[in-house]
Amino acid sequence: MKTASVLIKRNVKLFFKDKGMFFTALITPGILLVLYATFLSNVYRDSFLAGLPEGISLDDGLIDGLVAGQLMSSLLAVSCVTVAFCANFLMVQDRANGTAKDLCIAPVKSSTLSLCYYVATLLSTFLICFIATGLCLLYVAIQGWYLSVVDVLMIFLDVTVLVLFGTALSSVINFFLSTQGQLSAVGTIVSAGYGFICGAYMPISSFGEGLQNAVMFLPGTYGTALMRNHSLGGVFAEMEAQGLPVEVTDSLRDLLDCNLYFFGDKVPFPVMYLILGGAVAILVLAYVLMNRFRKKA
Amino acid sequence: MSNIIEIQHLNKSFGDVHAVQDLSFRVKEGELFAFLGVNGAGKSTTINILCGQLSKDGGTVTIDGLDSVRDENAVKERLGVVFQNSVLDGALSVYDNLQSRAALYGIYGDAFRTRLAELAEKLNFSDFLKRPVGKLSGGQRRRIDVARALLHRPKILVLDEPTTGLDPQTRKILWDVISDLRRTQNMTVFLTTHYMEEAAEADYVVILDSGKIAAEGTPLELKNAYTGDFITLYGLSDEETASLGMEYEPIRDAVRVRVPNTEKATELILSHPTLFRDYEITKGKMDDVFLSVTGKNLTGGEGK
Repeated sequence: MKTASVLIKRNVKLFFKDKGMFFTALITPGILLVLYATFLSNVYRDSFLAGLPEGISLDDGLIDGLVAGQLMSSLLAVSCVTVAFCANFLMVQDRANGTAKDLCIAPVKSSTLSLCYYVATLLSTFLICFIATGLCLLYVAIQGWYLSVVDVLMIFLDVTVLVLFGTALSSVINFFLSTQGQLSAVGTIVSAGYGFICGAYMPISSFGEGLQNAVMFLPGTYGTALMRNHSLGGVFAEMEAQGLPVEVTDSLRDLLDCNLYFFGDKVPFPVMYLILGGAVAILVLAYVLMNRFRKKA
Repeated sequence: MSNIIEIQHLNKSFGDVHAVQDLSFRVKEGELFAFLGVNGAGKSTTINILCGQLSKDGGTVTIDGLDSVRDENAVKERLGVVFQNSVLDGALSVYDNLQSRAALYGIYGDAFRTRLAELAEKLNFSDFLKRPVGKLSGGQRRRIDVARALLHRPKILVLDEPTTGLDPQTRKILWDVISDLRRTQNMTVFLTTHYMEEAAEADYVVILDSGKIAAEGTPLELKNAYTGDFITLYGLSDEETASLGMEYEPIRDAVRVRVPNTEKATELILSHPTLFRDYEITKGKMDDVFLSVTGKNLTGGEGK
C-alpha cells in the first residue's frame, strides 16, 4: 500500500511538473474558450433570439445565462475526458523513454504499477476538473445565475462520472501505445476530435442523421447531455416562468442536446447514467484483464 | 567461489532473428564479469532476460540459486541495474526520484533517508538532492543512476555501458565506488562496455558475436590466445634493427616488434643479447583480442 501511495504521488507530481503533458491537457478547453469568445456565443445568442416567438421578450441576463451554461457544459464535458487522456499519457511516456523498464526491474507487480497510473490519473483529472467546475460556476454567476443547489450538486456528479469514464477509456487506449509518435497522434486526435463527437463544439442536433445515430453509440455523448441538462435546467425553468411556452423550451432542449434520441426514442436520465456507469465498469474490467494477461516480449 | 549467475543453453529469437543462440556461461560471486560484443551481438537481449524484462525461448537462467522465471521477484531483489541511458524522471528532483524507486523495494521513511545519506556520501551528490534530474550534467546523472541501482543493496550490479560519454573524473568516481563495493560487500559486477581498458580489469570476459560466445576467459588467457606480445626496443640504429630479421613498426624513438608469445620474445632476446639494451615487453590489448575474435572493432573506447 505504501509503495502504491509513493508511486501515485510520483505520477501526480510528474503530470503537473511536465509542462508538455499539462498544457496538452488544456488545449481542448482552450479551443472552446476561443470559439465562444470569438463567435460561438454570438451565434447562439442571435439564433436563439431569432427563434423566439413574436411578442415574447426575455431578460438579457437570462440569455447570457443560457450561453454561459452552454459554455460551461461543453467545457466540462470535454475537459473531463481530454484531461484524463493527457494525465494518463504518463503511462505511455514511461514506456517510450524507458522508465517503465526501470520500474519493472523492481519486485513490484505490474498490476500495482497499472493501478497507480489509474489512480494518479483520476486524482490529477479530478483536481483540474473540479477547479474548472468552480471557475465555470463563477463565470455563470457573473453572466446570470439560475442554478439550484441540486443543479450544482448534479454538475459535480456529472463531472465525477465523466472523469471516471475518461480515465477508464484513456487507460484502455493508452495500454496499446508505446512510442512518442503514437502518443502525439492519439493526443492530437483526442484533443481535437473528442469535442466534436461528444457535441461540445457543435450541438449533435446540427449533425446529419447518420452521424447523429452514430454518436449515440458513444457513452461520452450522454455525459454531455447530462451536463447540458444540469447547466441549463434553471435557465429553462426561468424562461417558462417568464411566459415562454413549454413547447418552445422543449424544442430548445432538443436543439441544445439536453434531450437525446436513440433512433427516435428519447433517452431518460437514469438510462444515461446507466450507460456511462456501464461503460466505466466494462472499460475498467477490460483494463484489469489486459494487465493480467499481458505477456512479456 | 560459487556461481552467482548460471546461464544454460539460452535461446531467444525475434521473428527470424536469432538474437541469442544456445548461450551458456557462469559468473562467480564477487567477480567483475565483462560481457562484450558489438551492437546487435545479443548483450542487451541477454541482460533483459536476466532482469526479467524479456521472456526466453529456451534454456535456464539461475541467479543466486533461484530460477529467473519461477522466483522472479526474489531474483529482482538481488539485481541492481544501471541502464545504458538514464531512465530516471527528468522533471522530478533527485530526492523524489530515489524515494519513488526505493518504495519499489519496500524502503520508506527513516530506512530510505538513512540509505540515501549513505549513497549521497559515497557517490558525492548531497549538494544536488533537490535539483531536478533533467538539469544535472551527464556525470551527475550517472551517479544518481548508480545510486538508484544500489538503493536495495543488490548482490549483483548490472552495468550496461555505464561510463559511455562520461568525463574521466566521473568515470574514476564510479569505478572507485564499484571497486569499494566489490571489496567490502563482495558484490558481483556484470559489465558491458565499449571501453576496452575497463574490460581489461575484469576477472572474466565473455565475447559475444551474433548471439553466440566467440571467446571467453580471463583477460590474460584471451590476450595469450588471441594476440601476441610486443617488444619495444629503444636506441637501435637502422642496421641493428634490420639484423633482428623481424618485421617491425617504427615509432617515435623506438621500434616495435610483434612476436607470437612471451616464449618467442625470450628466444629473440637470447639470440641478440647485445641489441636488448633498453626494451620492454607488453601483452596485446583487449582491443586486439576483440578484433581478432570478432573481426570487428568496438566503437566508443580505445577500439575506435
